[in-house]
This record gives sequence, structure tokens and C-alpha cells, in this order.
Amino acid sequence: MGKLEAKNIEKFFQHDGKPLKALGGVNLTVNDGEFVCIVGPSGCGKSTFLRILAGLEKPDGGEIMLDGKKLDDTGPERIMVFQEGALFPWLTVRNNVEYGLKISGIPEKERNEISNRYLDMMQLTQFANSYTYQLSTGMKQRVAIARALVMDPDVLLMDEPFAALDSQTRDLLLVEMQLIWQKTQKTIIFVTHNVPEAAVLGSRVAVFSARPSIVKKIIDVDYKRPRVAEDENLGAYEKEILSSLRHQGPK
Amino acid sequence: MKANLFGKKIAFYIAIIIVWQAIDSADIWPDNIFPSPIEVGEDLIYGISDGSLFYGIGTSMWRLIVGLAIAIGGGMILGIFMARVETVNQTIGSLVLGLQSIPSVAWVPLAILWFGLTDAGIIFVTAIGAVFAVTINVYTGVKNIDPSYIEAARNMGAKGSQLITTVLIPAAFPYMITGFKQGWAFAWRGVIGAELLFSFLGLGFLLNVGRQLNDVSQVIAMMLVIMGIGILIDGFVFKRLEDKVMSRWGLR
Repeated sequence: MGKLEAKNIEKFFQHDGKPLKALGGVNLTVNDGEFVCIVGPSGCGKSTFLRILAGLEKPDGGEIMLDGKKLDDTGPERIMVFQEGALFPWLTVRNNVEYGLKISGIPEKERNEISNRYLDMMQLTQFANSYTYQLSTGMKQRVAIARALVMDPDVLLMDEPFAALDSQTRDLLLVEMQLIWQKTQKTIIFVTHNVPEAAVLGSRVAVFSARPSIVKKIIDVDYKRPRVAEDENLGAYEKEILSSLRHQGPK
Repeated sequence: MKANLFGKKIAFYIAIIIVWQAIDSADIWPDNIFPSPIEVGEDLIYGISDGSLFYGIGTSMWRLIVGLAIAIGGGMILGIFMARVETVNQTIGSLVLGLQSIPSVAWVPLAILWFGLTDAGIIFVTAIGAVFAVTINVYTGVKNIDPSYIEAARNMGAKGSQLITTVLIPAAFPYMITGFKQGWAFAWRGVIGAELLFSFLGLGFLLNVGRQLNDVSQVIAMMLVIMGIGILIDGFVFKRLEDKVMSRWGLR
């Protein structure tokens, strides 16, 4: 299961000694197995919100519930894929992917079986023994996704994982991400600043307002999958997202 | 390219020996003040043939290794604690900076009083001369770890000592190597300095024997050995380790 609820999440930052309200009471419910994208103007605190969902930061107000249970720390049922991958350069691709399994004490043979499955899914099998410095940015993100998937989390939290990719690699991964989602049925929350990316990936797109952020609008993207970025029928959804982003109004 | 560089170096050292020999042949200073390279070479060969040189090297090396191992172990523990626990940094951290400024030979009198003329005293000087350089580099290394490594590991369930052994140490390793290298340099100076003053076996002792016997060529021969070992360890142990780590960690 993976129904994630954020209730009235608030977060302050210190800015020049004064508290600055970044999140002004964010409410968002993501149902089990749903793929939700979060977009918002830069600096709106969408990454901070994701980090709060992951338990990497504490909110100053509000609460996070997973399947009705209150959360207050990180947990292997909510795994984060970081913007730059955060892969460990001292480990091979295989050992990176197996890291979480090793930490939880799963024996090597079993680890290998599990990692083989996800290395194969992410088309990394032939790079299993490479080190990360030998990989392209796109390959690194594949490893990061595989490393998250082996943990078999209920919720996958993705923080602009494709932001640094060239457009060809990104288009490829956008399609793959949808296939992975359909295959694994994970709940996915995906933060991005790229509107077409949000329209391709999200079953719903939550638009954040400028600081102090709230969920301004939720747009259902009800369209067949797998979607591709150049599909003109997605244009209407993109327009809707863009216009709600634009009508922020100065605060 | 590489062969060219090597050739340059060889030519340079041959040139030094030729100039040295030329100065000696000019007979400006008497031989007991300024020996020829041949005399120094003879002393080295003599030391090799009767085994005393190897015994001296062996003694100094094992003291160095034990002292450096203690320094690396202690420095890593201290450095990690300083980096992760702010109170430790604010208290012990300032003391470490102060102690780091004490030259290792300045610990010799204390070591003699505490340990007497023993190996333990020399190892103490070696270790204490190196430990703070290791500590400071380990501290810097752990402080500079990309926080997303730690977050990713925590997110996947790593805690406490697991976090230290599987992320903090490997992530800080490039800095730690610098610390080990500095530590080794301090330890090597420390062990030779201590042996000179303790006058209890080892290369520093052989160096001092040369002085006591007024044997300048023996003194220079031992200095060359000390330098040679320094070059070897720097070039073969640390340079290789550093190259490997830097490329693996994607820093080069």
C-alpha cells in the first residue's frame, strides 16, 4: 500500500536572520499506485516538500500520513531519487543498486537475484561492474532509479531526476518511467519544473503557488499511456498547467 | 612522454653527482668535511654488505608503521567525531589545532620521561607527530561530504556505525588519503628525529653514529637513504593510492 497524505504542511527558512515561510500549509493526498507530478515556480519549496515527505526534513507544522499512520522519520517504504543521483562513486553499479539491501542484512545471493532483476529492467546489466564515473548522466539516473526500486518502496519520491539530462535521453526515460510505473504499480511523486514532463508523466499534476506555497490547483491528465512528449494532444493539459502557473499573482 | 620525463630526471641526478665529484676534485675542503660521492657510495655498500643498513631501515620502518597505524586509527576516530558532533569540535577541535603546531621532536623529552629509552617512546613520538595532521584532514573530508550521500544512505536505512563505515569513511576517503600522506610525512620526520635523540637503533641512530665518529660520508649516506625511502613511499605507495582513488571517485 502507499496512500500518502500531507496535511497542512508548513516550513520556515531563516533568511537574513528572519523566518521566511516557504510552505504555507500544503495539503495533498496521493492515492496508492498513483503517479503525481508536482510543478511550481522555482524556489517555491516543492523540493523541500518532497524532502519532508521522505522524512529528510521536519515540517514546522502539519503532518504526513502513510496509509493512515503518522510519519516522522525516513523509512525504506519511501525512497527518494535525488536530482544528481547521489550515487556512491566508491561502489560499482551493482553494489550501488544493492546498497539498501546490504544495509538491511540480506545475504549476497539473494541480493544478487534482486539486483539482477532491476539491473535488467533499467538496461544496466552490462554496466553492473562499472563505476559511476564511467557512466553518462542518463545512465547514472538509471542506476539511481534501480537503486530505489530494489528497496521495493511503497512510495517513490523523485526530485527533478531528469533535469540534467539532454532532451533525447530524457524523452527515452519519460517513456520508460511510465512503463516502470505500470509494471511495479508504485505510488510515485515526481517533482519537476518542466511542464511537458509533468504532463507526460503525471496522472495528476499538482501546481504549487509561489512562496508561501500551497497546492494551487490539481489537474487531472486523463490520457492514454505510454505518452510521448511530442504528442500534440497533451498540449491542452500543458496549457492548463502553464496558465495556472502563470496566474500566481504577486503576493 | 613518460620516458622523456624519466630521462630528464636521470640526467639531472647524474649531473649533480658529476658536479659533486668535480667540487671534491677541486680540493677546496678536506675529505673529512666534504667527502666525494664515491666515498659515500662505499659507505652505503659497506652498510649493505654487513647488513647494518637493512637492520637500521627495518627498525625505523617498523616503528614508522606502528606509529603511523596508531596515528591513522586515532586520527580517523577523532576526525569523524569532530565532524559529526559539534561539541567535540568546539572543545577537542581547538586543542587539536594547538597540538598540531608542536613539532614532533618537541615530544621527545616527554616520551623519554614517560617511556624511557624504548621503542614505545619512539613510536609515541612518531604517532603523536602524525595524528593531528590525520585528524584535521579526516575532519575536513567528512565535513565536505556531499550531504545527499548521507541522506540517500539514511533514506535506505543506514544508521550509526553502518553510516560511518559504508558512507562517511569512503566518501571522505580522498581527503583522508591526503591526511595519511601528510601523516606519513610527519611520522617519518618524527621517527628519524626521535631516533637521533633517543640514540637507540634505527636510521636516525646510524646518522648520529656517523656524527659521533666524525664520519661525514656516513652521515651523508644515511641522509640519502632517508631521502630515498621518502621518495619511494611517496611515489609508490601514496601517489598510486591517490591516483586510483581520485579517478574512481570521479575527481580527476
